[in-house]
Amino acid sequence: MSPRHKSIETKHMQERAQFFSALKSLDRRSFLKVSAAAFGAAAASGLVTPHAFQPVKVYAQGAGGKQEPFSFAYISDSHLYKRTLNDRFINALMRAVDDVNAMDPQPDFVFYGGDLAQLGQPEELELGAQILKNLKAPLRVMVGEHDWYYDMGEKWRALFGEPTYSFDHKGVHFVVLNSVVEKDFWTARGLSAMDRMKTVAGLDNGVQSPFSVGAEQRTWLENDLKGKPATTPLVVFSHSPLYKLYRNWNFWTDDAEEVQAILRRFRQVCVFHGHTHQMLTNRIGNIHFQGFLSTAWPWPYAPQGLPELTVQMARPDPFNPNDGCGDGAITVHPDGLADIVHNLWNRNPVTILRTYTASNGKKDKPEAPLRRSY
Amino acid sequence: MDEQLKQITALIPATAGKSAPAGVSSEYWKALVPADNIANDARIELGRKLYFETRLSKDGTVACATCHDVSRGFTDRRNTSEGISDQIGQRNAPTTLNAAFFTSQFWDGRAGNLEDQAILPIVNPIEMGQPDGNAVVASIASDAEYQKAFQAAYGRAVNYADIGRAIAAFERTLVFLDAPFDRFARGDANAISADARAGWALFNGKARCTGCHQLSSNNPIGTDSRFHNVGVSARHQNFEELAKQGLIALKKDSSKEALDKLALQTNLSELGRFVVTQNRADIGAFKTSQLRNVGITAPYMHDGSMATLWDVMDHYNKGGEPNPYLDGGIEPLALNETEVAQLVAFMFTLTDVRLDAQNKSELERQRAIAAQRRPFRDDNAANRKVLPFELRATAQR
Amino acid sequence: MGNTSMMRRLGLIGIGVLASCAHSAAPAPGTPGAADPNAAAGGSADSTEVLLCDGQTKVSVAAGTPGTAVAGALMTEWLRKNPNSNWEAEERERHTLQPAADNSALIGQVQGQTYGQVTAQDVALWKAETERVATAGSEVFHNADQLGSTIGVSCDMCHPHAANTHPETYPKYQNQLGRVALLRDMINWCIQHPVRGKAMESEDPKLRALEAYILAQRKGKVLEYGKH
Repeated sequence: MSPRHKSIETKHMQERAQFFSALKSLDRRSFLKVSAAAFGAAAASGLVTPHAFQPVKVYAQGAGGKQEPFSFAYISDSHLYKRTLNDRFINALMRAVDDVNAMDPQPDFVFYGGDLAQLGQPEELELGAQILKNLKAPLRVMVGEHDWYYDMGEKWRALFGEPTYSFDHKGVHFVVLNSVVEKDFWTARGLSAMDRMKTVAGLDNGVQSPFSVGAEQRTWLENDLKGKPATTPLVVFSHSPLYKLYRNWNFWTDDAEEVQAILRRFRQVCVFHGHTHQMLTNRIGNIHFQGFLSTAWPWPYAPQGLPELTVQMARPDPFNPNDGCGDGAITVHPDGLADIVHNLWNRNPVTILRTYTASNGKKDKPEAPLRRSY
Repeated sequence: MDEQLKQITALIPATAGKSAPAGVSSEYWKALVPADNIANDARIELGRKLYFETRLSKDGTVACATCHDVSRGFTDRRNTSEGISDQIGQRNAPTTLNAAFFTSQFWDGRAGNLEDQAILPIVNPIEMGQPDGNAVVASIASDAEYQKAFQAAYGRAVNYADIGRAIAAFERTLVFLDAPFDRFARGDANAISADARAGWALFNGKARCTGCHQLSSNNPIGTDSRFHNVGVSARHQNFEELAKQGLIALKKDSSKEALDKLALQTNLSELGRFVVTQNRADIGAFKTSQLRNVGITAPYMHDGSMATLWDVMDHYNKGGEPNPYLDGGIEPLALNETEVAQLVAFMFTLTDVRLDAQNKSELERQRAIAAQRRPFRDDNAANRKVLPFELRATAQR
Repeated sequence: MGNTSMMRRLGLIGIGVLASCAHSAAPAPGTPGAADPNAAAGGSADSTEVLLCDGQTKVSVAAGTPGTAVAGALMTEWLRKNPNSNWEAEERERHTLQPAADNSALIGQVQGQTYGQVTAQDVALWKAETERVATAGSEVFHNADQLGSTIGVSCDMCHPHAANTHPETYPKYQNQLGRVALLRDMINWCIQHPVRGKAMESEDPKLRALEAYILAQRKGKVLEYGKH
């Protein structure tokens, strides 16, 4: 007895079953060749849980040493209020912590992408620090504008240290910038600290200044990178994207070109940023940019300036406050390029392979969302 | 079966099933009925016979009506259903009432319509136990009355696919949408109690029900026909482990029958829609059930783990059961006891007036149980004093 | 801040604050613009307490003070207590509005007016009034407290500049409500759920202003029925 009509699910599953049994019969060399695409397809269609790469086992977690890929997790843009005001954002950050703690194998470290607090309040920052303490893996943090403009970084420094720093891990040089420096718009207007914070907190608030890295930090960056060979694997973190996407929402860094110029001599650079609360992919010359998801809420895509390489995520459903949000993991390869897996809550995870930006979009394009958008 | 047959003849009007029910646009109804199975008296009559036909099962003891019993809200009032040889499955039997309005059948949507659904339990080893379609056909093909009936209905000899069609045609007559709520919706404010009216307001507001349980004039049953993980199965096992197991098992055999078996027999059943689509987003997701006649179709959820509607409300009120795949639309609701009671009162007004006697006795029965125990109630969680993911996040240090 | 301030905004208060008092909560005033000698019975023998028709602003004046000085004193006092009187310009500075259509071509035309021709003042009035309501909506849109949010969430958190609101697609079957909705139904739904506040009544000036702002931000978009 054969079914009268094959459902879409049946066809789907038959295709997958054929694909995977075909995989098994490949020899090792062709298996490795196909595996990158398979990994991407498998992950994007939900067969691969983030960081548990099965059935395609290609990127085993390296035991250490310079020549093996390694992974770190990311959590970003939690925008916490104090608990008595808003439980939803706190619960979302806890969900992200739970996700990362459940990763098997554990990532080498967890990177926090900025905007831990919503209005820069000391209690919000402390609450965030406390929640992040539950992470099993070591934590590295970056500052966002919501963390900074209430007290100009006083509480942040007390909790987390200097916002601008660098470190080395398994042969890769990591740089963390404060890319949300704004020219003083508050003194002339006589704004209070809270007014200043609320102004910056409004994405579409036109009173604030555009973000920048600033001359001081650019000098620091030059010094930090001095003497490093051009082949050094280099990863830069910034809160705002280090390019000019959309000025009206400060998806923007005013001195982006100057910063990019400092990075230009390297063979390739990965830049990871938060602030945009959406999946964003871009490549400018030797720099490969990827955006982090937020745990708190998704932003819509800007009406103009969207990078060509970006595959948009599905339009989030407002009934599900977690839709369009999540956390993720990044695998850095010995050549310095990285894959990123976005663990979108209630949707299939999306993997963006390094070959996608490396080929300028010709290979391994991430699949468009599977689920119907609302 | 005879008793059920008597009851059903009394309940269904002669015009049922052949055209769109009152209030539903004929265009929309057409989208719900396959073109090769337009209803007529012959098909409906045949389907009714088959629905109550125990000969279709391997040992002649089980018919559709065994688990979808007319006198029990067209379900069986069991947590999970029992098939031939006293075997017990993993899923709660959904009601046949108004089932025509779903855009897929089964808790995991593995059947596209009523026709596809009807024939699967017959060949499931623990439900009706037949080895395959041929055996099913053989069980009634020699009966001259059936031969005549099939010819009259479909102009063909007895065959397996037509068994499904006929049953589906009969099931489409089971439209029970004349409830006190409908009279209230048409303008009679006193058709339902003040509590129920308050419950209706909560349903559309604070309790966030309409996100999944959608009630509109053309889709009056209270479902979006989609799949959501509300955390019911997360109570029982480790999801991530199950998901990995599921992938391996399905690679071996992904036909409809294998899925059916898996769904009912193994613990992979708890993965729900994932077993059908293999989408990670569907892990532990089950179809939004309908709310029509919900008062008389206890127990609730895909595994029948909730005995009363109070239990259902407690589950949602506390924000479901946290797990990595929990639908983000499930949040703690901070409903107080009065509001919970009002929502329950509202839900009991959704039962068709023809089934009022069952509704009343069920209300009393459930109320008595709820008065004694409320196993899912958690006021701390409901009022957001402890957050859904808090214990998980802080326990893993 | 309830409807009172919104009414004040959209009522007739401008720089000419004494021209009229436009909110219902005030006790019945005397003649607008004049100090009401029958109001508060305060003050000493030599001075009178003068109460503005808003029922709140009061000033003590010595007997014999000329009326213009009384009016000026009341004005100063009112401005001191209402630093927000410049709300419109401030809100426009924070959040831009989509530019209005330029109707200057209509000036001198007969069409558009039952009586007489369209004047430059007409054109200016249409723009000023509409933008005022839209700006009032922008203020509510960007303010969690004015929306009544219990969790500090405002509309602009998901809809900067009212992006992604698609008001031109209504009426439509709205999945989250399970039925056909109009724009204000969806605004109210968003207030109840993502914003976790209380739904507003249909005639609430805040709701109407929100609608005006959202619609004003989407001028010139092509209708894509059913896509959203």
